[in-house]
Amino acid sequence: MSRERNRNYRQRVDQALASPRLQNALHTFGDAYVVARQNAFAGLDFEAMRTEIASMKDDVRERRQELVAEFTRNAEAAGAKVFLARTAEDANRYIVELAARQGVKKVVKSKSMASEETHLNLALEAAGLETLETDLGEWIIQLAGQRPSHMVMPAIHMFRDEVAELFSKVTGQKESDDIPHLVQVAREQLRQSYLEADMGISGANMAIAETGGIALVTNEGNARLATTLPKVHVALVGLEKLVPTLEDATNILRVLPRNATGQLLTSYITWIRGAVPCGDTDKELHIVLLDNGRSALAESPQCRDALRCIKCGACANVCPVYQTVGGHVFGHIYISAIGVILTAFFHGLENAADLVKACIGCRACVAVCPSAIDLEGIILHLREVLGEEEGIGAGKALVFKHIMRNRKLFHSMIRAASMLQKPVTRGERSIRHLPLFFSSLTEWRTLPAIAEKPLRDSWKTMPQKVKKPRYRVAFFAGCLNDFVYPEMGSDLVKVLNHLDVEVTFPKEQNCCGVPALYSGDRETAVALAEQNIAAMLADKPDFVVTTCPTCTMSLQRDFLELLKDNPVWAEKARQLADITIDVSRFIVDKLDGKAVFADTAGGEKVTYHDSCHLKRGAGVWEQPRQLLAGSGHDLVEMAHSDRCCGFGGSYSFTSHPDIAKHILNDKVNDIEETGASCVAMDCPGCIMQIRGGLEKQEKQVRAKHTIELLAEHLK
Amino acid sequence: MLNQFVEALKKVGGQVAEVADVGEAAAYIAAHVTGAVLLPAQPSLQRAGLVAALEADGVALVKDSWREQGPAASAGVTGANFALADTGTLVLDSTAEALRLTTTLPERHFALLDPGKILADSLAAVPYLRGFHERAPRNYLAYITGPSRTADIERVLTIGVHGPRELHVLLMPGLSSNFYEL
Repeated sequence: MSRERNRNYRQRVDQALASPRLQNALHTFGDAYVVARQNAFAGLDFEAMRTEIASMKDDVRERRQELVAEFTRNAEAAGAKVFLARTAEDANRYIVELAARQGVKKVVKSKSMASEETHLNLALEAAGLETLETDLGEWIIQLAGQRPSHMVMPAIHMFRDEVAELFSKVTGQKESDDIPHLVQVAREQLRQSYLEADMGISGANMAIAETGGIALVTNEGNARLATTLPKVHVALVGLEKLVPTLEDATNILRVLPRNATGQLLTSYITWIRGAVPCGDTDKELHIVLLDNGRSALAESPQCRDALRCIKCGACANVCPVYQTVGGHVFGHIYISAIGVILTAFFHGLENAADLVKACIGCRACVAVCPSAIDLEGIILHLREVLGEEEGIGAGKALVFKHIMRNRKLFHSMIRAASMLQKPVTRGERSIRHLPLFFSSLTEWRTLPAIAEKPLRDSWKTMPQKVKKPRYRVAFFAGCLNDFVYPEMGSDLVKVLNHLDVEVTFPKEQNCCGVPALYSGDRETAVALAEQNIAAMLADKPDFVVTTCPTCTMSLQRDFLELLKDNPVWAEKARQLADITIDVSRFIVDKLDGKAVFADTAGGEKVTYHDSCHLKRGAGVWEQPRQLLAGSGHDLVEMAHSDRCCGFGGSYSFTSHPDIAKHILNDKVNDIEETGASCVAMDCPGCIMQIRGGLEKQEKQVRAKHTIELLAEHLK
Repeated sequence: MLNQFVEALKKVGGQVAEVADVGEAAAYIAAHVTGAVLLPAQPSLQRAGLVAALEADGVALVKDSWREQGPAASAGVTGANFALADTGTLVLDSTAEALRLTTTLPERHFALLDPGKILADSLAAVPYLRGFHERAPRNYLAYITGPSRTADIERVLTIGVHGPRELHVLLMPGLSSNFYEL
C-alpha cells in the first residue's frame, strides 16, 4: 500500500469533512434529486426499463466486435473516419496529430468524460493548442484548474462567489455573484470561440451501430455549436456507449435524463451521422472509439456488468459517502460507486485502492442504477482482489485466518475479553469512554460491553414450553446477538414460543464470515461457510431464523457464491439459503403473526430505521412496519429512513470512522425530528451504531430491535 | 395529444401560441423580435408564404450568409418535421447548416408546427428516425425540448445559456402533413 497515496487521500478526506458548505450542498441536492427522479418516473416501470437496458448492454458486450464493425462500416459509409484507440495515449495522439495536419490552432470542447479520462486537455495544451471548455460546469473547473467532482454536474462542489471570482479574472472586471448574470457572462465570453475555433471536440452518450451515428444528450446548446461551426469535429466515445439499434437508443433516452437529473428529456438530443455540410464544404468528422481498459473489463466475469453503465451519475446522488465527502475524495476521474470500478480498470488498481475501501456497502446505488449493475457486489470483489495484491493487513489476517476459523479459540477469546473489559465497563452495559489511545473509538458513540454470559451459554436455561409446535426453527444468532446482545436472543425465543414455534441453537455455529469476506479474505469466508452450513443443517430445522440482516445475506447469498464450484457444498448451501429467513418476515409471512400482537403496545411513538442489508439485501421493509403499527405503536416515518446509519462493519471502527460519524449524525438528526421516543430496526449492527450515537449525544430516545419491542409487552 | 404536448412544452419553459394562418404567425413573430430574423428556405414555410407575410410586417429577414449574419440576429424561424407529445419535443432535420445556425445562434427560436404532426412519444418516432437515415447519406437530427438551460452553478436553474433563451412554438393547422418536410 503506497503510504504517500494514502496520506494524500486522508488529507482530502479531512479537508472535505471540514467543509460543511459542500456537505450541505450535496445533501440538499440528494434530497431534491430523489423527489425529481420519483416524479420523472411516475407511471413508468423502472424495474422493467432497467432490466431491458441491462440485457441490451450485455448483448452489446457479447457481440462487441461485430457491433464495432457494423458501426464503423456505417459511419464510414456516411463520410466519417473511425479510429479505434486501444489506450488513452493512442486517442490523445490521434487527435493531436489530426489537429497538426489540419492546421488547428484553437479547439472548443463540449462535455466529454472520456476526454477527462484520457487527460486529453493536457495533451492538446502540450501541443500548443488553445483549448476551451464550453460546457458551463467544465469551463468553471477548467478556469479553476480542477477536475470534475460529478459526472453530470462537474462543478457541483463550487459556489457562486468562487465562480464570480474566476469569471472576474477572465473579464477583467468585478462580476457580481448573481447566478443568471454569471451564466450571461459565460454565454458572452464563449460565443466568439465557437466562431474562431478550427476544431470542435465532443463526447457522445451513444454510438448507434445500425446507423453509424452518435447521439448527444445535452441542455446548454454548446454541443450543438461546437459540432456545427468548426470545420473539424472529433467525437471521443467510450466503446461501452455502443447500442445496436435506434430502438435501443430510444430506450436509453427514456431513462437517462430521468435518472440523471429528473428531467423527462434534456433540452437537446443531437443525432449526428457522417460528414454533414459545413460552410462551403463538408465537415471532417472523426470518431475515436476508446478502449483504455474496457476490453479487460469485458473479460472479467465478476466486474463486466460495469460496462452496462450509461453514465447517469445517480450512484453519486444517493451515496451517503459521496454526500459527506464529495467527488474529489470519493472518486478519481469517475466518481462514486461506478468510479471505484472504472478507476480500477481504466486508471489502475493502485488509483482505486483507497476508493475501494471508502464504500460503506449500503447498496443505495444498486437501488437506483438504471442498468441494474450490482455495484456493491463488484466493489466487494475488487476488495478481495486488492486483498490478494496488497494483503489485508497483519491485524486482520491474524484475526480472520488464525483465530476466527478456530471457533472454540475465537469464542473463548471473546469470553476472556468479557472478563478483561470490567475496568472499562465498570459493570455497565455501555462503555462511554475508552482510555488512552482507544478513546477515539468512543468519541462520538458509546460502545456496548461484551455480555457477561453469551447467548449460547444461557440457551439451555431458557424454558421453552411449546405444546404443539407449528415449526421447529434453528436460530442463527451472529456474533453480536451471541456475545453482545444476548437479550435479543431470549426475546426471540419468547416471541416465537408465543407463536407456537420451538427454537434451537446449534452450538457449532460460528461467525457468518462477512467481516473476513468484506475485507477481502475469501479463504476464511469459505471455511466459515462450511462450518456454519454443517452446523445449521445438522438437525434438519424447518427454517433458520436470523435477527441480523448481514448474516441473512451471508447465508442466503454469500455462502452460495463462495461454494458454487464445489458440487457437494453447493447443494448444501442451496438448502440452507432456501430456509433462511429474517425473523420479522418469518413472523408476518410464514406465521401470519401480525394479529397476535395487536394492541399489546401502549401507543408509544416509534420511528423505523431501514437497515441497508434488510431493505436492499433481503428485500424486507414492510413486515417490521406492519408488526410495529399492528402491535399498537404510533409509527411515524423519519426522513431518509432507508439511508445508512454509518455502521458498515469495520468501516466505522478502522477504515473510515470519521465519515461514519458524519453519516450517523445525519441519522440521529432525522430520528430526533420525528419526536419519537423510540427508534426500531432489525439489525444489531445498526443498534450498536444508533444506540451508541443517541447515548453519546444524551438523547432521550431508545434504540430497539423489533423483536425486543414485540417481546416487551408480552405477558 | 395536442394538450399533452402543450402542457409538457410549457413545463420546460417553452411558449405556445395558436395561429390560424400565416398572417397571424407573422404578426406574432414581429411582435417578439427586435432585429433581423434568420429564415432558411423550408418547403412548408414557402408554401405558406411566410417570407412575404413577415416582410409585410416590417421584419428584416436574413436568407443567406448565415455564418456572417447569424451571430447578430435577433431570432431564427423554422418549421418542424414533427413533435413528441409526452416530452413537448420538436424534431427538426437540421442537416442543412443554415437550420443549425438558425436554431443555435440567436436568442429566440420560433417554430411553426402543424398540430397534426404530433406523435405520442419517442418510441413512436423511431420509424421516422430510421426513415431520415435511409433517405439521406448523412444526418444532423435535433430533438429540441424547450429553451437551453443549465443548473451547473449551485444547481440553480437558469434558462438560456449558449443556445436560445426563448422557444416559441406556433401551432398552425394545415401547414404540413409530411413528417419528412420542414
